[in-house]
Amino acid sequence: MNTKIMMIDDDPDFVAGIKSILEKADYSVNVAYNPKDGFQALQAEHYDLLLLDIMMGRGAEGVALARKIRKDPKLKEMPVLIITGIREQIAFLFPGQAVHPHFVETDELVEKPVEPKFLLEKVSALLRLAEEKKSKVQE
Amino acid sequence: MDTELSFNDEIANVMYATHGNPIKDCLQCGTCSGTCPAVEFMDHTPRVIIGLIRAGYKDEVLASNTFWSCASCYHCSVRCPAGIDIADMMYALKRYSMWKGQHQEGLIGPVFSESFVKMIVNSGRSFEPLLAPTYIFKNGPQGLVQEAQTATGLMLKGRMPLLPKKIKGLKKFQNMVRRIIPIGEPS
Repeated sequence: MNTKIMMIDDDPDFVAGIKSILEKADYSVNVAYNPKDGFQALQAEHYDLLLLDIMMGRGAEGVALARKIRKDPKLKEMPVLIITGIREQIAFLFPGQAVHPHFVETDELVEKPVEPKFLLEKVSALLRLAEEKKSKVQE
Repeated sequence: MDTELSFNDEIANVMYATHGNPIKDCLQCGTCSGTCPAVEFMDHTPRVIIGLIRAGYKDEVLASNTFWSCASCYHCSVRCPAGIDIADMMYALKRYSMWKGQHQEGLIGPVFSESFVKMIVNSGRSFEPLLAPTYIFKNGPQGLVQEAQTATGLMLKGRMPLLPKKIKGLKKFQNMVRRIIPIGEPS
């Protein structure tokens, strides 16, 4: 079965780039350009992985969405890869200062720009972890 | 889903929190432009900006000073017959143009916003003497003298402090900000 990935990011150029990288690696990718549409799409269908942006709309809307996902019993188990350009987009995060990770239980945070190889490694690692976790629960 | 997103859609996404803010409902009546107190400082009136966004003239919109001249009085939003929150659209355009790093040269707005936000996040309140350098040099020597006179007057009357004042519970305030914006280690 094809692995389905959802991507929520408001930057269409970035989305186009990442999407083509993932599609070349045989993932099927669905895209939403704002958190509201994204959350609806996540509820309508099952996805194996979510790629999430943080700075959308009025500010750090991705954080709010991640918290919503953490509370949702159905979506809680879905691994989330946060890809963010937050360091460039907000003026008060200084070089070397850490970005707060772990908005959801099963997540990972990388900063833009992302190397294609690094992204694919992260994606497959997260999918593998989720798979292992699932099989453990079934045992 | 298509990957090509029009400028209209991009702006709608930036404003999705106000339910997409229906700029497509604009009937070009010009009430916003007629109401605007800052319209004489703008390259394009708000009505024209909405028209340009809908027609996809991205470069023209981002090159204009309209949204940076907006005084956020919200009179246009109140009077719009189509229910468009035009002041919020101006904020969306500011955010968008700062995000993309594409705005007119020599504007006070972007620099001012940046130092203002930095200041509020770090200290919890604004301190004019630190903010002033972002704008006092923009209006030539005459403007500088005028600003200095105003500042001296304010200080003599005790209306402007010489040293920044600390707010109560700064640590709590910073923790609150960190709930909204992910800076630093998890608490």
